Amino acid sequence: MTDRAGGRGPGAGQREMVVDHSAVPRGPIGHGWMIVATFIRLGVLNIAQYRGEFFVSLANGVITLVTQLLGLAVIFSNTQALGGWSPAGLLALIGVHTFLSGLIGLVIQPSLQQLMEGIRLGTFDFLLTKPADSQLLASVAVVAPAQVVQLLMGAGIVAYACVWMDTVIGPLQWLYFGITLFFGVIIVYSFLTLLGTCSFWFVKLDNILVVFSSVFGQAGRWPISLFPGWMRIVLTVLIPVAFAVTVPAQALAGGLSGWLVLASGVIAAVFFAGSRAFWLYALRHYTGASA
Amino acid sequence: MTLPTRTDRGGLEPAPNFGRFSWRVLRQYYRGEFAASTAVNVAYRGSVVIWVVTTVIQPIVLIVVWRTVAGPTGTVGGYTANQFVTYFAIMMLVDHLTFIWLMWEFEWRVREGMFSPLLLRPIHPIHKDIIDNLSYKMVGLLGVVPAMIIMIIGFHGDLSGIDGIQLLAFVPALIGGAVLRFIVEWVLALSAFWLTKVSALNNLYFSVRTFLSGGFAPLSVFPPVVSAIANWSPFPWSQAFVVNVAMGTTRGTDILIGYGAQAGWILIALLVLRLVWSRAVRRYSAVGA
Amino acid sequence: MSAAIQVRNLRKTYVVPERDAGLKAAMTALVRRKTRSVDAVRDISFAIDAGEVVGFLGPNGAGKTTTLKMLSGLLHPTSGDADVLGYTPWRRDRDYLGRMTLIMGQRSQLQWDIPVVDSYRLNKAIFQIGDADFAARLEELTELLELTELLRKPARNLSLGERMKCEFAGSLLHRPQVLFLDEPTIGLDVAMQRRIRSFVAEYNKRTGAVVILTSHYMADVEALCKRVVVIHHGELLFDGPLADLVRTFAPDKTITVELVEGSSVTRADLADLLGGSIARAPVEQTDTGWRVQVPGSDTAAVAARLLSRLPVADVTIEDEPIEAVIEKVFAVPAEGRP
Repeated sequence: MTDRAGGRGPGAGQREMVVDHSAVPRGPIGHGWMIVATFIRLGVLNIAQYRGEFFVSLANGVITLVTQLLGLAVIFSNTQALGGWSPAGLLALIGVHTFLSGLIGLVIQPSLQQLMEGIRLGTFDFLLTKPADSQLLASVAVVAPAQVVQLLMGAGIVAYACVWMDTVIGPLQWLYFGITLFFGVIIVYSFLTLLGTCSFWFVKLDNILVVFSSVFGQAGRWPISLFPGWMRIVLTVLIPVAFAVTVPAQALAGGLSGWLVLASGVIAAVFFAGSRAFWLYALRHYTGASA
Repeated sequence: MTLPTRTDRGGLEPAPNFGRFSWRVLRQYYRGEFAASTAVNVAYRGSVVIWVVTTVIQPIVLIVVWRTVAGPTGTVGGYTANQFVTYFAIMMLVDHLTFIWLMWEFEWRVREGMFSPLLLRPIHPIHKDIIDNLSYKMVGLLGVVPAMIIMIIGFHGDLSGIDGIQLLAFVPALIGGAVLRFIVEWVLALSAFWLTKVSALNNLYFSVRTFLSGGFAPLSVFPPVVSAIANWSPFPWSQAFVVNVAMGTTRGTDILIGYGAQAGWILIALLVLRLVWSRAVRRYSAVGA
Repeated sequence: MSAAIQVRNLRKTYVVPERDAGLKAAMTALVRRKTRSVDAVRDISFAIDAGEVVGFLGPNGAGKTTTLKMLSGLLHPTSGDADVLGYTPWRRDRDYLGRMTLIMGQRSQLQWDIPVVDSYRLNKAIFQIGDADFAARLEELTELLELTELLRKPARNLSLGERMKCEFAGSLLHRPQVLFLDEPTIGLDVAMQRRIRSFVAEYNKRTGAVVILTSHYMADVEALCKRVVVIHHGELLFDGPLADLVRTFAPDKTITVELVEGSSVTRADLADLLGGSIARAPVEQTDTGWRVQVPGSDTAAVAARLLSRLPVADVTIEDEPIEAVIEKVFAVPAEGRP
């Protein structure tokens, strides 16, 4: 066989690595990035396969957007401001919401759906036999490129809302916007992964992700200042919609304090660590390791 | 050996006559399917719980939004903040008791060819769907009714308009609304025979319905043009009307007008159903079941 | 030199909740949980050298898949240890995972909607295979398995057999030294099964990789495995050459005689002819004659008697079919082994 190093007859040393000069050895982080990059590249290269889905995604996106705008119009024909938010601010919030929905639909949700199915069918075992982090592999497993439409629409709506706004948004607030949006993505990812990891125990609950998507879809497009105190807590800590959507939008609409940005980071770190710990715990349970 | 005929006395029973419609047969079928369907729903109670939880979220969000708009003392479209609470709480119950989810199921059925066994049965497939639907709603009521009560109490819903007459009038309105919505959406689901991807159409339908049926807000909140259009469509008659009867916002002769509208739309819907169904079956066989 | 795979006193016990059907039982289960422990694998030990192809035989639930899962690192044993290429599998050392592969019949790890070769590129990234090596190995595997037409198609458009071939190729791109094959030919047509078998044999020959294969199809085992391990009720019943298995458990042979056309022999005639203890031998009538099952030691004598006394047109003497052997082995109760 045309392998680089020679001597591969039976009994050749088991622990000696075959020296492969064309592979660049990477540390675990470099390896992880390469895996993610490969998945992305493949998604891009295969966009032609999903042509039909793009139009559906576009149609759905437009319909949803128009519906939300009509809703806003009805509300603002009856009042000046909603919970302290101007129409432009609310539009920015809808933009952030659309963007995040797109991101969730692009890779987070389809991958988790496949994870849950894999646990049920037994194909999850394949992830455990690969020399790469199983959570990473499970998280980027499936990409639905049609959702890029949502990402772009969300960005467009945010841009329009900013132009429409009376106030000028300073560079610091733009920075805060970017940072809190990033933290928001981490929070959403971690929460969904937590939900998906439950399927190691409850194999029949394949619509568990629906809990999130309905809370996110319904409650997430409104600023949390509307909700009574107890609901605000639920939406911040339990199903973390607040920090994902309202906080970044607030950077643009009203401005954030540095402390809120910091809090957002702390919450993101906590959720991420929690989802990681839960994943590892689930693996120990799945493989029968004495936990 | 000759085949048994209807005049045969001894030996095998005569084959049932599938040509003639029989209430007794239908009743037996309903009982059997209902038991099976309920068993499935109970077995998957985890999923049912989750679906019920999601039913609760939209009303809560809308209550919060509209009561903020109305403010503690104001009214919007004639509804005070507390009346909004009652409106949406009852809307949740009515929605649960009238909705169907078949549009997505039909797409799957057509794609996987699962319609074939259903079409082979000597009973119209709509009956199975009716049973599944009822069975799920029964099981779901266990969650939705307490949720509704908690919502009204927790958000201080205004119950002043409710009296015995309204509650009595509510029952036929609810049944009429459920039947109307079921037929309309079953016909819509048939679009799966022509379109491969129904999600965009479904999305459009639900968006339109949410506004015109009074799901997003009571119709009086909208400009008069919009509520006029809505009233000439079938949508509010399965939802907003039913809720308003229960709440006491629609009273007296208005209720009777509502019944009439429901009856009229049900008739139209049945006609459309007959038309579209025969076309759908033809198309299904033509495309290759 | 130490063996490539060493298994010592491996044991896996599951604790399973026990519950009756019905609503009342469901209620009591909430309060008081009844459990039962199941010994999936009981004290198994064996050693396999590099280059061997070993077949694991056993009925469903015997424990062979559980053993395979422990060796591939998917399960932690309750007790005992194992050594594969010097690694403890369930520690899931990255170095170990990069040298082994698990292929499961009827379960695909190819990405469904994208071309097969793109799934391979994913494996390339995961296993950190260099560009040159990847190209060379892909070319080789494509040639061996005839994949040229299939590489550009998404997995969803392939038949089961084509997908299995692609599975194999994708799983071997990183040149594993240990192959765990769990029912790899199940559901495939006969031609494809032969294809896969010859490929596995070739891979083993070229690379000296260790192969453990579980299968229901005796043809797989006969074609590939010189050595078989029989597992039943979680215990190792037999470990040795396939020929020995046949000899130990099936000393019987089958003699089939085809009678000359027009002649007929009744069962009574045959019983008279065979006489003695042989009269109790299982005898079966075929379209053209008779089939008799006799202990190996009596084969010659019985055959001679039949040939000399009956109008025989043709005679065949065969070993008992291996399926029957296996059935016999599995019919042996858990405690009583030869």
